[in-house]
This record gives sequence, C-alpha cells and structure tokens, in this order.
Amino acid sequence: MGFRSHVAILCSLVLLSACSHIEETRSARQERATEFNQRAQRAFLRGEYQSAADLYGNALQLDVAIENVNGIATNMLNLARVYQVLGKPALAERYLDSLLEDKALHYAPAQLAAAAVQKSLLRLQENDVAGATAWVEKSAGYCGPDCTLAGVIDNVRAGIALCANDADRALQWSEHAASENKGSSQLEYANSLRLTASARLMKHEYDAALHLSEEALAIDKTQGLPEKIRQDLLLSAEAHDKLGHAEQAAQFRDRAARIAATALK
Amino acid sequence: MKLATYNLRLQNIEKRTRQFMLGAIGVMLLVLAMIASRQDYFHRSTSIYFFTPNAQGLSKGMAVKFIGFKVGSVQDVSMQPNATVQVKVSLDNEYVHLIGQDAKARLIKEALVGESVVEIIPGSQQVKQVSQNSVLAFERGQDASTVVETLAAQLQPILSDVHQITSSINNPNGDVQQTLKNLNQASGSFRETVNQFTQLGASSNRKLDGAYGKIDKALDSVNLSLATLDKAIPRLVDKADTTFENVQSATADIRKVTNESAAEIPALVRNTNSLVQDGQETLGGVKKSWLFNGMFPKPEEQMLPVDGYVAPRQP
Repeated sequence: MGFRSHVAILCSLVLLSACSHIEETRSARQERATEFNQRAQRAFLRGEYQSAADLYGNALQLDVAIENVNGIATNMLNLARVYQVLGKPALAERYLDSLLEDKALHYAPAQLAAAAVQKSLLRLQENDVAGATAWVEKSAGYCGPDCTLAGVIDNVRAGIALCANDADRALQWSEHAASENKGSSQLEYANSLRLTASARLMKHEYDAALHLSEEALAIDKTQGLPEKIRQDLLLSAEAHDKLGHAEQAAQFRDRAARIAATALK
Repeated sequence: MKLATYNLRLQNIEKRTRQFMLGAIGVMLLVLAMIASRQDYFHRSTSIYFFTPNAQGLSKGMAVKFIGFKVGSVQDVSMQPNATVQVKVSLDNEYVHLIGQDAKARLIKEALVGESVVEIIPGSQQVKQVSQNSVLAFERGQDASTVVETLAAQLQPILSDVHQITSSINNPNGDVQQTLKNLNQASGSFRETVNQFTQLGASSNRKLDGAYGKIDKALDSVNLSLATLDKAIPRLVDKADTTFENVQSATADIRKVTNESAAEIPALVRNTNSLVQDGQETLGGVKKSWLFNGMFPKPEEQMLPVDGYVAPRQP
C-alpha cells in the first residue's frame, strides 16, 4: 500500500469521525443561565455572597423558564447554601423545601441527598436534633454507592452527636468522616478534624484536641475561611485553658477576636 | 457542388464571427458606460479648489459632504511649484447653489475612529454661490489625538501648580509650617504660664508680674506668627486663584469637546459593540466547529460543594 493510499484512508477516517460527531445543541437562554451560574460561583469564591445570590437567582429564573431540571436543582441548592452563609436560614430552608417537596419535577438522587443533608445542617443549627437526625438519614437513603456526600453525611452525624453531648458517638462518626474525606475534600477533612477536636475536648483529651485544632487551622488558612479559622482558634484556646496555659489561651482568644472584628465569613 | 457547400459554410462562419464580435463590442461599451457612470462622467459638476500647506489625510476619491450629505468628491490632489497642495473638488451641480463663495472646506473624521471626509461649512446666504474654479478657504478639524494632546498640555500647568502649593505647605522651612510651629510653641508657653498662675495664685505679686510678662511675650509671639501667616496666605490664595482659573478654562474646553463629540460617541460605542459581537460570534462559530469543539470544554452549571460545618449558636 502506497503513501497516497495511507493518506486517503486517513482523510476518510477524519471525515467519518466528523460525520459521527453529534453536536449537543443548547439554547441561548441555557447558555445565559450557565453564564450567570459561573459568575455567581466566582462571586461566592470572592466572598461576595449577596451578589452571588442575585446571580444564582437570575440563573434559576432562566432555568425555570426553559425547564432545565438539572439547572433548577443546582441553582436552588446553591441559593440555599448562599443564604445559609448570609445568615438567612429561613430563606435557605425555603429553597430546600421547594426542592425536596417538588412533586412535578424529578431531580437526581444525588441532588436530593445534597438538599436533605443541607436541610439537616440547618435543623442542627437550630438545635433541632430530632429534625437533623431525620434529614441526615433521608440524605443517606438518597446517597447511592457512587455518592460523594458520604463524608459530609458522617460529619453531620458527628455534629448531631456533639449537640446531644454524646462524645463517644461524635468521635466515632468524625473519625470515620476524616478517613473518608482525607483524600477527597480538604474542606470536609478540616470539618472532620474540628469535630474530632471538639469530641476530644468533651472527653478531656486536651493535648489531642489541641493537635487536631492546629491541623484544622492550617487547612482552613489555606482555604481562606475566616469563620472556620476563628472557630479553630477558639478550640485551641479552650484546649490551652484546660491544660492550664492561661496566657496562650488568652493569645488565641485575642487572635479569634481580631478575626471576628472583620465581620467576614 | 462541394465548393458551393464549402463557400456557404465559410459565409456562415463569417456571419457568426461578426455577430460575436458585435456582441463583444456591445458588452465592452456597456461596461465602459457603467464605469463612466460610476466615475460621474455623465454627471454635470462644478470644479472648485482649495489650498493647504500639506496633503496629510487628503486623497483622491475622498467624499465631500455638505450638512451630512455627499455632494461631491476630491478629484485631484497635486503639489504646486510653491510647495503648497492644490486640491480639486468636483461638486454636483444640484447642490452648488447652496454653497456660497465664503464657505469653508474642513477636513474632518466622520467618527472618533472613522473615515476622513471634506466637510463644506456653509457661508452666508447673501454671498454669491460658488462657480467653476472658485477657491474655498481650508481648515483642518481636530482629531482625537490632537484633542487629547491639547487637554494634556492644559492640565500640565495645573498639576504643577497644585504640586507647588502642596510642597509649599509641606515644606518644614516654609512660611506655613514655621508659623504653625511658632503658634504651637506660643500656645505651649501660654499653657505653662497659666499653670504657674494657677499654682501661685495671687499670693506672690512678684511672681505674678513675671507670669504676666510671660503672657505678654507669648501673645507677642502669637501676633508675630499671625503676621507671617497673613503674608503667606495671600501668596497662596493668589496661586490657588491662578490654578482655579486654569482648571476652569480646562473644564470649559473639556465640556466643549464633549459636546462636539456627543453625537459621535454613541456611534463609536455602537460600532465597537457590534465589532465585539462579531468577534464573539466568530469565536462561537469556531468553538462549535467539529475540528475545535473538543478543545473547548462546554461550560456547565456548577453546584457549590456541600459544607458539613455548623456554626455554633451564639449565646
């Protein structure tokens, strides 16, 4: 077979591959919704939560108009998250409820699991242990074998146990969550470390608690999350206090107070 | 018999060749007529002239406009023996009666970024209309870069004045700083004296006299400082006045330029907008073409990661 034949075969293959390619068509409105969503993501990462909420709202409006089910769920979950950060739990819960109680549209189980676990977190924030437990178990039910929320669900379980003053159970869940989150999500791994530190404090294991809170602090600093950094510092202060290091405890509290003064979340 | 047939065929060919030739000549004439029409050869026009020191921005074929309408074109741009540039303009006869002998030709740009045209600025109605070989006065309109340069030149002395005033105020050896220092010292000694007066009371007349002496001295010092300040302030006020005058004149110029380009700016923005839109559409098209679509990942709506953190309730 000569060079020309090779070239001819190659060209034919390229043309065939072009014919076999089916271009996914998306409407201009869907592309606009995606654009709003991406701008909102960037605003959220910059800590501009109100503008993120507005942009997610725009994306949701477009997705509802063109009945893009996946987009509707995504943006409702994002809005719930933003309003939770903005300190408006009632509004956040309303978005989650409209997703969880929707009878007309069918959302993916992973999206329902995310909604249920967020709802559980909101209930826990209100000290409603029973409600939080019910929703976290619903979330676990939606979460299939390839669900990526297992680490989050275990963290919430640990949080519920801490709220119920059950240190042993909290330690069990948080350590389980830490092993699940270690390789997959730094954000959740730091949450697991913070929960483990709280459980260790409750169990009077102050040295271990101090070590864990310092590890969590290092991660949260790399993530740039002021509220969590403050929480880590307060945990360290408490551990130092219990260890009798009054001066160091005061220093950590002072550091935490300076962060709180910035009022950034 | 054969020869007769041959002659007949020859005549036939000759006839067809003639027809073809006539047809070709006809087409050529038609094309020539179209070119002539395009070049305005059938148009009755009046040639007028203007002279300029240099030919920059002027070219043959350039449009000539009157109150926004095309009324002619530049026919020729040529250099004269005295090193000036003669520009021949052909005006459509239809419009000649509107242009007076005192009209001016001005070289302008149609937008901030756009084609240059020769604009005829109307003269007074009473003056006789232009005729064949009339000569118009010529001027150049300001383009964007000239305007910016003028503004920059006007702003420079203002900035330098502001800088000078600030330096004068900040100068530790300057009148203002020295006066403030003196005032500070005077108020210090005054405070000291008042303290002494309070402590001693009226018990010691001798000491009281001394205190009065110090008050007098302090007040003298204050007076001296105020006198220096009196001298320094008018100088500063004069300087500030000049600066504000400059600022006012620059502001007036800026307002004038803004008013002049007010009509052009929306067009410029519109043009830029459509240019950007074209660019976006082209890029969109390239992105969608099968050869490249694999290289550009399609953006999807993203979900924020769920955060299993619960903020502790504030007591």
